[in-house]
Amino acid sequence: MAKVLIELVRQHFPGAVLEAHAQHGDETIVVDPPRWHEVATWLRSAAPASMDMLSDLTAVDYPDRDPRFEIVAHFYSLTRGHRLRMKARVGARDGTGARIRSLADLWGSANWLEREAWDMFGVVFDGHPDLRRILLYPEFEGHPLRKDYDAQRIQPLIEYRDVPDIDKVAPFGPHEGMSFGRQTHARRASDDGADTEVFPGGEPS
Amino acid sequence: MPTFKLDDREIPFEPGETIIQAAHRAGIEIPHYCWHPGLSVAANCRMCLVEVLPPPGRPALSLAVMSWDESQGAYVDQKKPKLQPACQQGAADGMEVRAETSPHVLRARSSVQELLLLNHPVDCPICDQAGECRLQDYWLEHQSSSKRMRDEPVHKPKAVSFGPTIVYDAERCIVCTRCVRFSAEVAKDPVLSVRQRGNLNEITVAPGRSLDHPYSLMTEYVCPVGALTAKDFRFKARVWFLRSAKTVCQGCATGCNAFLDHDPRTGAVYRHRPRENAAVNRYWMCDEGMLDYRRIDERRITAAAVSGEASTLGSALDRAAVVLREAPRDRLGVVLSAQHSTEDNFALLGLARDVLGATSFFLGGRPAGQGDDVLRDADKNPNTRGVRELLGATPLGTMPELAAKVAAGAITELLVLGADVGELPDASALSGARVAVAVASAEGPLLSRPYVLLPATGYGEADGTYVNRAGLAQHSEEAVPARGDARPAWKLLAGIAARLGKDLGYRKLTELRGALGGAAAPAGAAE
Amino acid sequence: MEPLDRDLDHSELELPAEPMMLDMGPAHPCMHGTVRTVVELTGERIVRADVQVGYLHRGFEKMCERGTWTQVFPYVDRANYISPMLNNVGFALACEKMLGIEVPERCQWYRMALGELARISDHLTCDGAMAMELGAFTPFLWMVKAREMVWEVLEEETGARLTHSFGRVGGMAHPPTDGFKETTRATLDQVLKVVEECERLLLGNRIFLDRLEGVGPITAADAISLGWTGPCLRACGVPYDVRKAHPYLRYAEVDFDVPVGVHGDSLDRFLVRLAELRQSARIIRQALDRMADSGPVNVDDPRVVLPPKEEVYSTIEGTIRHFKIVMEGLKIPAGEVYSYTEAGNGELGFYLVSDGSGTPYRVRIRPPCFLITSGLERVITGQMIADVVPCFGSLNMIGGECDR
Repeated sequence: MAKVLIELVRQHFPGAVLEAHAQHGDETIVVDPPRWHEVATWLRSAAPASMDMLSDLTAVDYPDRDPRFEIVAHFYSLTRGHRLRMKARVGARDGTGARIRSLADLWGSANWLEREAWDMFGVVFDGHPDLRRILLYPEFEGHPLRKDYDAQRIQPLIEYRDVPDIDKVAPFGPHEGMSFGRQTHARRASDDGADTEVFPGGEPS
Repeated sequence: MPTFKLDDREIPFEPGETIIQAAHRAGIEIPHYCWHPGLSVAANCRMCLVEVLPPPGRPALSLAVMSWDESQGAYVDQKKPKLQPACQQGAADGMEVRAETSPHVLRARSSVQELLLLNHPVDCPICDQAGECRLQDYWLEHQSSSKRMRDEPVHKPKAVSFGPTIVYDAERCIVCTRCVRFSAEVAKDPVLSVRQRGNLNEITVAPGRSLDHPYSLMTEYVCPVGALTAKDFRFKARVWFLRSAKTVCQGCATGCNAFLDHDPRTGAVYRHRPRENAAVNRYWMCDEGMLDYRRIDERRITAAAVSGEASTLGSALDRAAVVLREAPRDRLGVVLSAQHSTEDNFALLGLARDVLGATSFFLGGRPAGQGDDVLRDADKNPNTRGVRELLGATPLGTMPELAAKVAAGAITELLVLGADVGELPDASALSGARVAVAVASAEGPLLSRPYVLLPATGYGEADGTYVNRAGLAQHSEEAVPARGDARPAWKLLAGIAARLGKDLGYRKLTELRGALGGAAAPAGAAE
Repeated sequence: MEPLDRDLDHSELELPAEPMMLDMGPAHPCMHGTVRTVVELTGERIVRADVQVGYLHRGFEKMCERGTWTQVFPYVDRANYISPMLNNVGFALACEKMLGIEVPERCQWYRMALGELARISDHLTCDGAMAMELGAFTPFLWMVKAREMVWEVLEEETGARLTHSFGRVGGMAHPPTDGFKETTRATLDQVLKVVEECERLLLGNRIFLDRLEGVGPITAADAISLGWTGPCLRACGVPYDVRKAHPYLRYAEVDFDVPVGVHGDSLDRFLVRLAELRQSARIIRQALDRMADSGPVNVDDPRVVLPPKEEVYSTIEGTIRHFKIVMEGLKIPAGEVYSYTEAGNGELGFYLVSDGSGTPYRVRIRPPCFLITSGLERVITGQMIADVVPCFGSLNMIGGECDR
């Protein structure tokens, strides 16, 4: 596949493109996070690229990698009909420090898309006019699409009533639930220092 | 180091190794059924056939065959190279081997797979091997087509009981003879053999015998298909619901590495599988060890008790602190347990020696049993050496010595970890002393009438370190949630110390291991 | 008595005034599929609006990571639930792109026909609901009646009126029924007749036109910047249709036009959908003419497609094949792909990341109406409160797709 766009970006931003591939025909570049906004600005305004639409912006969590999150943006040019996927890797292994510059000043679609990425992954977009949760309620704790967020966890805004003999309050009864998938079930570690039954008065002073 | 090429990749090998052994060490899997790294080579499945190119200057070893030519509508003569079994062909320096890149090899694999499935019964829905079956995996990878036979498959005996632990299904058997070789070579009891000929081949037990050697469950483990199944595991769980935790067997001082398979949705445990460790158990485990997973749910202490009456954990710990504070320290006997982990014993030592000032230590555990020169050790406790290393120079008495002291009136109160009395026939010899506080995970002779009984977690419910007979310290992982009110014994003992006003300095396992220092670091244990 | 302010200039009146915050809350008949819009009003003009979505968020993308690839189909169905066949086809195409396989021709025509039927149902719903919210209840009922006819065809084919889960990677769950072609052709005739009647009722109605014309306009530049695609973008004059620009299946071989609006207001969005409906009918007729009456619907790859049931019950290979595909999932090779199709609301994209096992690593649904709804704020700011109804209706926000 002709990797025209990749070559163009490489020429204009030497050193910014860390990796590139065109798997299944989708041209993809991985850029250095500090150059994210710069490359995006060029992609939008430069004539050979003229990416007038940011069609999607999301993130993927790779907890075994460092940096952990991969922010993925898909650009499309209505005038030229070509697409580009641009990625950047941010964030430490424990999930902190995932920040990148916002693209909301370049494309209006970035506004809500970045809000969703913040909501689901906890990636902070610097310079975003209104970075708050979009799909979840403000009192929600955690970022659910991270791989270490337990899929079985429930956070009701209003507490469930305590009904005796009801074994279906959790999403599944004990003998149900999918067996596949990486994240099966949370393991409660017995190594819990805050066991107040054993240690009176909680943590040692 | 001599190397050979496998699909254009250089593989180093030790002199005398076969292709498949060298590839296995390099992490490349050549499909196979009958080969096993711990058994002799049989080369009867023919799945590992590879193309070995002739050395320079020598003609290729080729066979004259006839193959169907569609365009001519007839069979035509062709030559194809003679493929060699990778499990039997020794590697030579500079040898060139083709596996994935040779169309003959791919066709051979597909044909072998087709042949193996020719008479195979449609048993997947009821076969325990489903989900970990080589026939399934290799069919998808190497064949993925239908068989060309339209006849009725051969019918053979199904569900034949071979012995107290194993059931055999002759229709599913591919006669790889792994079980035969295992029994003869590793278990040193050649009780299995192959009978009949051709497609009526089946495995049989020697007449008048049954498959009862102490490693019979290993025959089920080596069986690549569902022909041999364990009576203990049959029809109990589907393997794709199970997750495996890396544990250490608690059956004896050998400390075989194992996988404990459990269902994380319910916390139930289903079976052991051996984990490879070249230094300890190689690839095997004995039957006692394989069935030892049951101890997680058998005869467990899961609730605290004071004077035989059920109690909450908090109040039992309070009572334990009170009774230990009042106990006369020169007449307090402390029984450590070779059945519990190093961490548990370390906490007991800390509580007894540093907080209570006790000086009389004794080692309890299960009595000796039968050992052999294959795997089993006569010492049926996993951590004897671990406790001894912890005590170091401090004298550690045996249970008969404790009985003597009790009879003489020198020891009147006991603080015990575990419930076993070692070489004593029962606990009657210790009836002169009161068991003030007992921290135990399972019932035993020492627990006839303890004053305070605290429920401890056993193997599988908490991380622990166990030192085997050779001095190797090995970690055993936590697998399932603790049953009932049980907590790790070290945590209960630290809780008592906290109530006595003298914090031992750790609340979490990592902190304890830090305090333990080098004593708990696993020395080169394979993961 | 004389009016108090007859001689006074309005600017001289110091009446206390403050903007009013009105909560057009999630449980509102015009907030399709639960959207909360908090508007700040001066009088009847909207000064600011805060559109809050997420009331229908069900965590699809997380759930997809916990099953197999085939188990994602029910989830994508419930994204745009008025045209689920388009979502099914989109996801199946994305998986097939990653696997590098192409379905047989018969299946491609079948997918096109079912997809366009779904698009007809989507546009009927949107336009019918728009009419109802403006007070024209009869056209709504007629359009819903037409939609029922379409759904009867789909029920005959797939077994369900909505949320069919009919697509599969490598083909479809079942081949077309014997009466599919005649029934569909007859249904199309009926549907178009109903649409014609509705048009006669609505498009000459002064009130209807006044309420839609010039209401909620958006410029093409704004729409493109916001990432709008589909009928809403085409109403602004931008002729972007994935079926024409990047044809997939057999769209390059059929004749159809792409209706384009001029002003980008609510009336244009309404009309574009009506016109598209007719084009969809045209595509379906051509697809039915071209679709073979016999032949395989699924690709001939044993690693992807389930075997026929007789084989599963009688041969070991069939059992193993069924077992492997169902229990472990399709082994899509590791990698990532972005695949896009024209769904009812625009470019429906799937960004899939696979790690080689049978479970998806990441399934990202690029929802066209999420981005369209993000533009709602711009569309209604400056309009009057009553205009929110037709504006929002014309955007065709489907809660399932917006929130997933």
